[in-house]
Amino acid sequence: MAESPGAEKREESPILWVARPMATAARQFARSLWRPSTIVYPYERLEDPKFREKLEVKSGKPFGVGDIWDNYRGVHALNIETCISCNLCAFSCPDICIEMVTVAGGDPKHPKKCPEIDYGKCSFCGFCSDACPEGCLTMTTRYEITTPKRQEMVFSPERMYEIFRSKLPMNPIRLARPENEDQILLDPPLCIGCNACARDCPTQCITMLDIPKPEAKPGEKLPRRIWKEPVVNDSDCVRCGTCISVCPKECLFWGTRK
Amino acid sequence: MSEMWINMGPQHPMTHGLWNLRVKIDGEVIVDVDPELGYLHRGIEKISEDRHYNEVVTLMDRTCYVAGLAWEHLYIIASEKALHIEPPERAEYLRVMCEEFQRLGSHIMWFSAFVVDIGLLTPLLYGMRDRDLVLDLFQSYTGARMTYEYMRVGGVRNDLPPGFTDRARTVLDWLMARFDEYDKLTLGSDIFHKRCDNLGILKANDCIAHGVTGPMLRSAGVKRDLRKDRPYAAYDRVEFDVAGADSADVTGRYLVRMEEMRQSVRILRQVLDWLDRNPGPVMARELPRWLGAPYAPVGREGYLLKRNYPKGVGFSSIEEPHGEAQAYIVNEGGEHPYRVKLKSPVFSNISAARQYLVGYRVADIPPIMGSVDVCIGESDR
Repeated sequence: MAESPGAEKREESPILWVARPMATAARQFARSLWRPSTIVYPYERLEDPKFREKLEVKSGKPFGVGDIWDNYRGVHALNIETCISCNLCAFSCPDICIEMVTVAGGDPKHPKKCPEIDYGKCSFCGFCSDACPEGCLTMTTRYEITTPKRQEMVFSPERMYEIFRSKLPMNPIRLARPENEDQILLDPPLCIGCNACARDCPTQCITMLDIPKPEAKPGEKLPRRIWKEPVVNDSDCVRCGTCISVCPKECLFWGTRK
Repeated sequence: MSEMWINMGPQHPMTHGLWNLRVKIDGEVIVDVDPELGYLHRGIEKISEDRHYNEVVTLMDRTCYVAGLAWEHLYIIASEKALHIEPPERAEYLRVMCEEFQRLGSHIMWFSAFVVDIGLLTPLLYGMRDRDLVLDLFQSYTGARMTYEYMRVGGVRNDLPPGFTDRARTVLDWLMARFDEYDKLTLGSDIFHKRCDNLGILKANDCIAHGVTGPMLRSAGVKRDLRKDRPYAAYDRVEFDVAGADSADVTGRYLVRMEEMRQSVRILRQVLDWLDRNPGPVMARELPRWLGAPYAPVGREGYLLKRNYPKGVGFSSIEEPHGEAQAYIVNEGGEHPYRVKLKSPVFSNISAARQYLVGYRVADIPPIMGSVDVCIGESDR
């Protein structure tokens, strides 16, 4: 068997066995005497900008707290005013902890719905804020959500709007959309021109265009429908699929235009 | 003298996780051992079959709580093969950076736990302090300290924040100085050698027969490292040496891991230089269509089936901090993987416990099992 390094000093005095590591520890102790690595948590907070400046000067660490909190994924902030009720955050949530609830501000026929997040289930993965096309759902540096009541873990849109207005640093990361993204396609023979897709589209990117009413041949019965068809403006479309889910005839689907 | 079975675990300071080591002892001497795994089974493989390809990444972080990014990397390589996607080069370098930082974090965490097993409490605090710097770096670009969710199929989530590489180099310099300090605290004392030399010997042929990989195999004199032998991501474009030792004992595993950390720093310096010189996209431009946008509304998933997906099978194996991890993913055309199979190196390493424990004393179990670097989260999944 090969001897391990350090085996050659096997015959030294046992006092050195203890003294040599203790000298290293004493050196470290002297170095950290006036600048401890410990953070007195409830009184000192890493995400606090004032504390950052203080720590970076004092700390013996090579890299204090700096701007590492800018990307932090904590409690969400929601800007209700720019939310377009597209449901994308709820669709992309792996934990299914987002529910779309009605908030004030919509008309009775087309209520405005904003995400309500159950932090008892949330894993803070950030998929919802990545998916948000308007940038209204972001994640902040707030991480303290402990509460004695389970109901208080559910954050309503209004509560997240308050967090938004408190101007915490927010995660600025947005994902780029791939070039070959799917579009909303129409299966024309099934469409009845009911306007449901255009009515519920959160970005108003669907227009109902008139189509010519064909002449009925003798013996043939024309379908009962409104002679209009939806046209989707692909540059405005956020690919939320609301039109697909509200279509009563299931004539809209995902695909690529050739 | 009569023999008896004792249970070390599921709750025992030696276990570093939730598992049970049944030991048959004759006085102080170990006659037989029987490791019992499965207390931490969460069904991650089964849950993955019900999740979108990108959402499985959230589960991969939870397989191993000290090496989350390495497991994300493993899963992402396999799923990209199954989905026929090529990541951009910068994303590959970023993944190598993630994995090497994760190796640093994992090995420092192992060091902290291992020195406690042999009775040294001071280096524990040193290790935990220095691991925090690695976690700070992770937090600055992924946004979380433990559950990163950073990699995506086709690339990574975001590019590095400005000034990251300089900060990372400062941390690397600091860590390199600390590794020497660690060695002084442990190897500097003969007590460490008297405790760990010729302990828990597992020879090379026994390692290979039992599928033991990682630092345990390399400490037995076999220079097997997938980063060198079967390069993945950008590992064929960086220079490093494979750490190795010949003693096959606890000291050898310690030396291999310390040398691996130094080699990780060497890799990271090259990768950070490359990242400084080569800006570019971090996400593939052409993704399979359903990976870009969130997919169909709840309850209307049937619409997705109208599309024709390319089918495929992906296999990947990477050198995870604990050893060789493997993933096998079957893409049957849906937006969820049909099957995700993960192979953990820790499972094999623990299962060979009878080979390296029998014949030693009961008091030797904590150092020996500590040198294995047990992570039950990934072995039970």
